[in-house]
Amino acid sequence: MSMAKESRNSEELMLADLSHWEIGPYHGALPGQMCLRLTLDGEVVVSGKVETGFLHRGLEKAIEIHPWRAAITYADHLDPEAAVFGELALCLAVEQIAGYQIPARAVAIRAILSELSRVSAHMLHMVKVANSVGAETMIHYVLRDRERVLDLFELLTGARFSLSFLRFGGVRNDVTEGFIERVLEACVLIRARIKEYNDLFTFNRTFLKRTSKVGVITPELAKKTGLTGPNARASGLPMDVRRAFPYLNYPSQDFDVPVGRGEGGAVGDAHDRFLVRLREIGESLGILRHLAESMPAGDFLCPGVELDAATPETVALQIPPGEAYARIESSRGLLSCHVISDGGERPARVQFGVPSVAALAALPEVLKGIWIEDLPVVLSSLDISLAEADR
Amino acid sequence: MSAESLGFSPGTPEWIVSIVGLLGVYAVVIFPSVALMSWLERKLIADFQARVGPNRAGPAGFFQPIADLLKLLQKDTRYHWSWREGLWLAVHTMALYSTVAVIPLGSSLIFVNTDMSAFLPFWAALVLALGTMLLGFSQKSVNGWFGGVRVGVQALAGALPALVCMLCAGVRAGSFRWTDLASSQGGLPLGWTAFSNPFQFVAFVVFVASGLVLLSIAPTSGGLSRIDLHGGVSAELSGRRLSLFRLGRFYVFFLWSVIAVVIFLGAWILPGNLAEIISQQIGPFSLAVIELVCVLVKAYALMMGVVWLSRVVPHGRVDQITNFAWRVLSPFSLAALMGAAIWAGWRALL
Repeated sequence: MSMAKESRNSEELMLADLSHWEIGPYHGALPGQMCLRLTLDGEVVVSGKVETGFLHRGLEKAIEIHPWRAAITYADHLDPEAAVFGELALCLAVEQIAGYQIPARAVAIRAILSELSRVSAHMLHMVKVANSVGAETMIHYVLRDRERVLDLFELLTGARFSLSFLRFGGVRNDVTEGFIERVLEACVLIRARIKEYNDLFTFNRTFLKRTSKVGVITPELAKKTGLTGPNARASGLPMDVRRAFPYLNYPSQDFDVPVGRGEGGAVGDAHDRFLVRLREIGESLGILRHLAESMPAGDFLCPGVELDAATPETVALQIPPGEAYARIESSRGLLSCHVISDGGERPARVQFGVPSVAALAALPEVLKGIWIEDLPVVLSSLDISLAEADR
Repeated sequence: MSAESLGFSPGTPEWIVSIVGLLGVYAVVIFPSVALMSWLERKLIADFQARVGPNRAGPAGFFQPIADLLKLLQKDTRYHWSWREGLWLAVHTMALYSTVAVIPLGSSLIFVNTDMSAFLPFWAALVLALGTMLLGFSQKSVNGWFGGVRVGVQALAGALPALVCMLCAGVRAGSFRWTDLASSQGGLPLGWTAFSNPFQFVAFVVFVASGLVLLSIAPTSGGLSRIDLHGGVSAELSGRRLSLFRLGRFYVFFLWSVIAVVIFLGAWILPGNLAEIISQQIGPFSLAVIELVCVLVKAYALMMGVVWLSRVVPHGRVDQITNFAWRVLSPFSLAALMGAAIWAGWRALL
């Protein structure tokens, strides 16, 4: 924001009339690099415009100009906070074209990684919401427990973020020794900690006052803007891709799809969005436990598929011509991947459909009538990833 | 304050004693308190939050506050800086310096002890709050403007209940003179004003809570710590100015805790006739030191309690905070005043 604009703003404020405030692209209250153009009446937002694109990295184009195998690493960068979902959507689409049969063990490993990522991403969401209302202790408690999930990533893949672990036809490695036991341990620990979070924070009176009836998204608005995932479920739309369009081994998993019940005061408010994610962590822990206890034996890679070896002699992977569309339930909602192959060494076109775009589309409506102090609460409760929206 | 008890020769002019005393309070009480409390706060809160906290600068990170100060002093300040901002930061700082003269730290460590001296730091705190507000206004930024407005409305909302609660303590002591307020209390907790009757306890709780609202101290720091404003008024400050501002923020918190201790939590009064024995056996200087430590320990404990609470609970919105001050704290303070007055009248009749 330039100084001239700032001084004009404060003069307008002195007139006690409508004023304009431009926040971003860098501001602590924003979920990432974006710009909000707010019109304010005192401290109340009258209208807001959203501008994005500051984090555009040309991800889809980069995938097109690199060999097939490199696409996984790029898809991994789609959303750094829940890396495995981008990889998974891409792999599922490519495998449809190539006709790979994925071994049951690889499917189970993928499902474990998905659910761990969901737990980790939802915990990060809790941290962001706690930060937006200034509950510092909650932030540190949740971050401490999220480290256990990141430890599991490290144990399995060698990386805590940006895993690059999935491969077309399976996964890069079999599970590490002791991994399954530690998944079970982490499930027990985090389930016990959820109770602590509830005692400390979830139903705290001040937290309820800050989040209930704040940033309400009606089911109509959710449908109009194409909202999916926990945000839509908090508004009472029980759509979950794992149920509606099953993939991996989710049909054999027993889990509930939590929906917002308006415990904070209104269905689809910031508190509902927090609560739905908290309950989804519980459901994910149940799935993880079942997956870990019923881990099938066998290969971790489709027979006949060569694992990448970074040597000059490595034969470039070729995918037969074709087109496929895959969709998964990422931690933020419906993540889809459309892949077109012309039979060459590179993808002809890869396109992602990401849930954060819908959340950004709903934002101007949600911002109307909130206090600017509620801005961080609303933005953090929507759990928007600018990395995946701008890609 | 008797000059002789602090080691001055009988003929020393009063202004020299005052200046040396003020500087002494800064050097011996305020600055060490800033360093000690910020270290204690960071270490203890880190323990509560399952973290390590500072552990590099000195043993257990003890010199971290000094390292922080040195860093802030070295930092470049913002390029745009208007004379108005300088003016209001100066007002802010003057409020900070002037209250040191009225801060009561022991029976012999009082510079101003008049009939109404209990109200002096109160008004200084209001000046500090309004200075902060005008500092925000002069910054010509959205952060400063909204931060300033929030600090201002909170100061107004917190002032009434805080004043009324001070009256409660005055009703019991029969005076607003520091020494009278202190000597009306006993050395043990049951003799303290806060625990003398239920109304005084309510008055104590409301006094502390409304002080936090008045001075925008966390968890009611709407204008100064919110991420939507990047810290409000302090968003535009950096380097030396920021360290001055932060010193002011700490100081008002400290000032308020000391007042709460003096009027509600037994001040510097020692149990039984311990004060007399110490004064006679060891000397008046040692008594002054022991009384100072007594006040400081209680004030630190009160501050730590507030800090602990502020780190755990979510922070309210400014309109919710002012609502709370006007519609919860104010009625409770008035009820406490009424009750305390009836209680005192009843006791007088008996």
